[in-house]
Amino acid sequence: MTDRNIIELRGVEKRYGTFLAASGIDLDLKEGEFFSLLGPSGCGKTTVLRMIAGFQEPTAGTVLIDGQDMEGVPANNRPTNMVFQSYAIFPHLNVGNNVAYGLRGKAPKGEIDQRVAEALDMVELGGLQDRGASELSGGQRQRVALARALIMRPKVLLLDEPLSALDKKLREQMQFEMRNLQQSLGITFVMVTHDQYEAMTMSDRIGVMFNGRLKQVDTPTTLYARPCDQQVASFIGEMNILPAQLLGEIGNMLSIDAAAFGRIEIERNPNVATSSKDMNIGIRPEQLEIAAEKPEDYPSTVQGTVSNAAFYGENIHYHIRVAGAEKPISVSVPNYFHTVDFKRGDAVWLGLQGASVIDLGTDTK
Amino acid sequence: MIFRSEASRGYTLSAPATAYVGFLVAAPLLILIAYSFWTQTYVTLDKTPTLKNYSDALADPLVRHLMLRSIWIAGAVTVVTVALAYPIAYFIAMKARKKTIWLLLITIPFWSSYLLRVFAWKLILGFNGVMNSALMMLGLIDEPLDFLLYNEFAVVLTLAHAWAPFAILPIYVSLQKIDPSLLEAATDLGNSPLQRFMRVTLPLTIPGIIAACLIIFIPTVGDYVTPALVGGSDGKMIANLIQVQFGAANNWPLGATLSLIAMLSVGFVAIVFVITATQLGRRIR
Repeated sequence: MTDRNIIELRGVEKRYGTFLAASGIDLDLKEGEFFSLLGPSGCGKTTVLRMIAGFQEPTAGTVLIDGQDMEGVPANNRPTNMVFQSYAIFPHLNVGNNVAYGLRGKAPKGEIDQRVAEALDMVELGGLQDRGASELSGGQRQRVALARALIMRPKVLLLDEPLSALDKKLREQMQFEMRNLQQSLGITFVMVTHDQYEAMTMSDRIGVMFNGRLKQVDTPTTLYARPCDQQVASFIGEMNILPAQLLGEIGNMLSIDAAAFGRIEIERNPNVATSSKDMNIGIRPEQLEIAAEKPEDYPSTVQGTVSNAAFYGENIHYHIRVAGAEKPISVSVPNYFHTVDFKRGDAVWLGLQGASVIDLGTDTK
Repeated sequence: MIFRSEASRGYTLSAPATAYVGFLVAAPLLILIAYSFWTQTYVTLDKTPTLKNYSDALADPLVRHLMLRSIWIAGAVTVVTVALAYPIAYFIAMKARKKTIWLLLITIPFWSSYLLRVFAWKLILGFNGVMNSALMMLGLIDEPLDFLLYNEFAVVLTLAHAWAPFAILPIYVSLQKIDPSLLEAATDLGNSPLQRFMRVTLPLTIPGIIAACLIIFIPTVGDYVTPALVGGSDGKMIANLIQVQFGAANNWPLGATLSLIAMLSVGFVAIVFVITATQLGRRIR
C-alpha cells in the first residue's frame, strides 16, 4: 500500500427521485489497498461501487480515479474492472475466450494467449482454457471472473459481493486466496459485502454504510474496538449494549455507573461524543468472564442465571439474565479443554474489566 | 401399480398428442408418399409403383423455376422479417417499460383474418390504391406506379407483415433471457455499445434468430394464398402449381410428388441454414 490516493470521492450523492441511495460520500482510497464497503442490504454500498465503475452517474459530487475526474467517462473507458455478484461469465464462450474477452483486438493473439495462460495460472485454473462456461463449478466461475478482470491490469478492481454465491468452506478458502492475490499484485481492491467477517478478514480498511451514508471508515481492529455508534457497534460482531451514567472524567478515562455491573473505569472512545450524563456502553460477548464462583481480579462482577446456551463447537454462547439489565447479556466462551459447560438455569458469575468496555457515547439511535 | 410408474404416466400424458400427430400428420404423409409412386389414368389410379412422377417433375424446367423462386421469395421474406423484427424485439425486451402492452399490440394483426389483411395490402398497393393516390396527391408522381402489386415485391411485403409477430416473439424471448450483468461485464471489459451488441447480445440471440427464420421460412415456401392474390404471374410459387395438380389438373400423384420434392428441398435448405448459423455464432469471440 502506498500513500497515493487512487480513488477520491468528494461529496458523492445518488438520488432516485426523492430516494437518496447514497449521499455525502467522502472517501479516499490508497493505491494497493484492500478496501471493503460493508453494510446491510439496501444501504447504498453497491450504488457507490457502481458509481466508481461508471455504471451509474452520481447526481452530485465528484469521482476521481488516479487524479482524473470521471464525470462523463463511460464504464468502458475507466481504468477499473469489476467482478460481478453473478460472475457474469459469458455462456457462449469457453474459459479461455471469457478471460481473453477484454483484450481481443487490443493485443496480438500470441500475447493474448500468453496473458490468458498467466491469468488462469494466477487463479489456479491453469490449462482450463477449453472448458465450456456451463461446465464450471461456482468456485471456478468466481476464479474465471477474477482472471477476466485482472487480465486487464486495472488500477482498481471492484468486487460486488464476490463470495456470496459460494458455500461456507469455499468462501473461507477464497477469502485467503483473494487477499494473497491482492497483496502480491498490489492492485487496489474495492469489495462490497454485507458479511462483516468477510470484510474483517480481508480488508486493510472498511467503510461501514447505513441508509446511504458512510458512517465510519477504519481498520478492522479499530472498527471492532472503537465503533462510532451503536449501529456500527452491533453490525460489526455481536455486542451487548447497556445504558450507563457518566460519573466523572479524568483525562482519557471515564468513570461510569453501568447498569448491573456497577461503577467501572473505562477508556474514552474518540469516535463518539459524550454530551450528557446518560450514555451507552458496549461489551463484546467474548470479553466477559463466566464462572461458577465469583471471579477474582475483576473490578466488576455480577451474578446471573443462564437463560440459554448454544454450542458452536469452537465456542459456546450463553445468554445470562442479570438483575438491572433489560435484555440477557450474551457471553461467548472458547471451548477451552471442553471444561465450560453451564446448563439453562445455572447460577453463574460474570466478571468484567474496564478495558473491555466500549464507550458508545450519548447517541440514542 | 403399473399406472404409477414414471414411464407409463409419461405415455398416458403424451397419448393424445401422439394420436393427434399419428392420425393427422403421419398418416396423411404416408398417403402422400404412396400417391407419389402411383399414376393418374384419367379418372382412375394406376397403383403400379413407378418413379416416373419424380423423373417428370425433376425434368420439368417450370417445377425447378417455381421451386427456386419459392425458396428465393421465402428467403427474402425471412431476411426482411427478421431484420425488421429484431429492433422491435430489442426495444421491447431491453427498453420498453410496459412489455405486456407492447406484446399485446404486436398480436393485434391476428385479430383479423389473414385474407382480410392480404386484401388490405391489395387496396394499399393497387393501381388506384392508397399508396398511389397519396403519392399523386402529394405531386410526387404523375401517374400510378405499376410495380407495387402483382409481383415478387408485393408477395414479400405482404408475407413480411403477416409473419412479423412470429419473428418478434422468439427473438424477444432470447433477448429477455440475457442476464443484464453480461452486458455490463462486456462494457466493463472495454466494449462500446456496438461491440457489446456484436459480441454478446447477437451471439446469445442466435437460437431465437434461428427459430424465427425457420418459423417463417418453412411455411412461406409453401404459401399459396398470398402469391395467388398479390403475386400476379411473376409471383407464382411452387404451392400454386401443387394446388393446380390437386384441383384443375386432377393429377394427385404428380401433386403428391411435387409436395414431397418441396418438403425435401425446404428441409435441406433449413438444415444447411441451421448448421451455418450455429457455426457462425461459435466463431464470435
